[in-house]
Amino acid sequence: MRCPRGRGAQWGNAQGPPKGTTGGRAMSWRKQKALQIHQALTSDPIDIDALRNAAVSEGGLLSQEIRRKVWPKLLNVSVLSLPPKPGPSIRCNHRDFNQVEMDVRRSLRRFPAGMPDAERSVLQEQLTDMILYVLQSHPELNYYQGYHDIAVTLLLTVGPRLGTAMLSSLSTHHLRDFMERTMDPTKHMLNYLMPVIRCESVQLHDFMLRSEVGYIFALSWLITWYGHVLSNYHQVLRLYDFFLASHPLMPVYCAAQMVLMREQEVLRGDCDMPSVHQLLSNIPKDFPFETLVCRTHGLFQRRPPAQLVTQASLHKYKSVSIASFHSLLHSSSSQRPDFVLRRQADPEPGALAPPRSQNRLVKLAVWGLSASLGAAALAVTQSALEWGPEILLGLF
Amino acid sequence: MMSAGPSGDEVGLESSLEASITSTCSFGPSRARIFKIIVIGDSNVGKTCLTYRFCTSCFPERTEATIGVDFRERCVEIDGEKIKIQLWDTAGQERFRKSMVQHYYRNVHAVVFVYDITNMASFQSLPSWIEECKQHLLSNDVPRILVGNKCDLRDSIQVPTDLAQKFADSHSMPMFETSAKNTTDHVEAIFMTLAHKLKSHKSLILSQPPENTVQLNSGAKTTFPCWC
Ligand SMILES: Nc1nc2c(ncn2[C@@H]2O[C@H](COP(=O)(O)OP(=O)(O)OP(=O)(O)O)[C@@H](O)[C@H]2O)c(=O)[nH]1
Ligand SMILES: [Mg+2]
Repeated sequence: MRCPRGRGAQWGNAQGPPKGTTGGRAMSWRKQKALQIHQALTSDPIDIDALRNAAVSEGGLLSQEIRRKVWPKLLNVSVLSLPPKPGPSIRCNHRDFNQVEMDVRRSLRRFPAGMPDAERSVLQEQLTDMILYVLQSHPELNYYQGYHDIAVTLLLTVGPRLGTAMLSSLSTHHLRDFMERTMDPTKHMLNYLMPVIRCESVQLHDFMLRSEVGYIFALSWLITWYGHVLSNYHQVLRLYDFFLASHPLMPVYCAAQMVLMREQEVLRGDCDMPSVHQLLSNIPKDFPFETLVCRTHGLFQRRPPAQLVTQASLHKYKSVSIASFHSLLHSSSSQRPDFVLRRQADPEPGALAPPRSQNRLVKLAVWGLSASLGAAALAVTQSALEWGPEILLGLF
Repeated sequence: MMSAGPSGDEVGLESSLEASITSTCSFGPSRARIFKIIVIGDSNVGKTCLTYRFCTSCFPERTEATIGVDFRERCVEIDGEKIKIQLWDTAGQERFRKSMVQHYYRNVHAVVFVYDITNMASFQSLPSWIEECKQHLLSNDVPRILVGNKCDLRDSIQVPTDLAQKFADSHSMPMFETSAKNTTDHVEAIFMTLAHKLKSHKSLILSQPPENTVQLNSGAKTTFPCWC
């Protein structure tokens, strides 16, 4: 199975991450990918296609440091126009406040094990604020249980303010259908599940239909992007890289692919609703997520939604999430890199440049990289150094 | 008569209990009868804790919001007969119950309504839960019971017992107050009572549907030729 390289960006090492080779070579593959992400972030306008490719292709976005830079770009969120810090008024009489609070209070498992209680409580407060801010600023949106699982992943990766901005963008795009007054639009999305499975395996499709398992086993997968069901945070992040860069139906394709990868297991089991529901709900701890992402991407290319829509149950409904995705793709293609935005926001020269000593360190780092990687690294420009050296430093 | 094992009061029994009560049952070749029970009620009343307590004899320290429907099961023996009790733990938020939970009402043998005795609103929602249940159940004589949870929180009672009892009487349901947290409150006995009732319920068809009856589910009502 080849991994998606996608259009556009060619990762320096066309073979992808070398499997089972020495740590040294694996490391250099990661470095090259990080460097290419860095270049995509610093070209003007940013190379959004390359960023999407990086998020989908093997290894995803590699590190939290890189995610902090790339995730906002995937949703066309500018780091310089963030929502204000929320005041206490945000909690006043919102219709969903109680439900949000109950769910956030019970979200302990989403925080890293071993985090001190005091620290976690602060984050939980921030989580509630993030959610309520978005709900207050979009009265047409309705909270659903599971929304908090998405919000917490954003919070833990990009922090509360960027997280709020991203949550806001997600809520009017990918998650929009889940936030209607009823869950009918969500059901509509789930209606794609069985047809996708049928395209790949009629036998599995028919077995599942006979069992009457329905599609509710995949509900929490879809509306939390698996954040609710996976206890391994790295797996969650890998999927978020993928979904943030993809079509809103991608989580449904992912569900289909996951079921397909477990086909033999399903067919061996009993053909009744509880058995199949139970089997599919328990995702094995060692499930190969990298392969899952890779195959899901291929499945989506092979059986795009437009092809499935010809089926009666799918075409009568207009999905806002799907419709708005195209405008998101369009608008996100003209983003300026952060260093330009910063310069525009504060034209005083040098105000935001890293302190000299750090700058020298970065130059050394880049020099070291160039020596070990060759020409690719030379493309790191002076502007990139101004823009922020964290990613490069993160490589060492 | 109830031989489903100890109720978990004694701390020392905890580990052996876990060994004898497994979440998935294997009764060997003889197919056990299956009782399907759906558990419904407002969010946060403790449905997940109650079902977890019954199936594992433990109180879960960290529950999370239920999204959609979770499934738990436990095998018991009643009057020498092996029975598999399947519990469908549903999401409490209204939007889920309005469109997602119906699928699970079909073919259930009993319904457990849960409210939180420290939360009046959860009690006041019961009529709408009951109404909804009536609409979805296939038959009228499906046994139903009412459970008031969290009775360990004695200082914050909002729903008086006699009020709840009256309500239960008016709907001809047995009523229990219990606590999923407190081991002495015999959550197990409540579910076992229900199981006994089901066992003696004559109109009940409790075997699995034969493999060859094909019933299409609501999610994918029609089969299409594949256009791919
Ligand atoms: N004191 C006390 N707390 C309880 C008891 N049962 C549940 N809780 C607590 O009440 C909260 C909600 O419990 P859950 O079981 O998650 O509630 P639920 O009904 O499943 O909620 P949804 O999944 O949102 O529908 C949790 O914080 C539990 O710890 C009880 O008997 N006593
Ligand atoms: Mg629950």
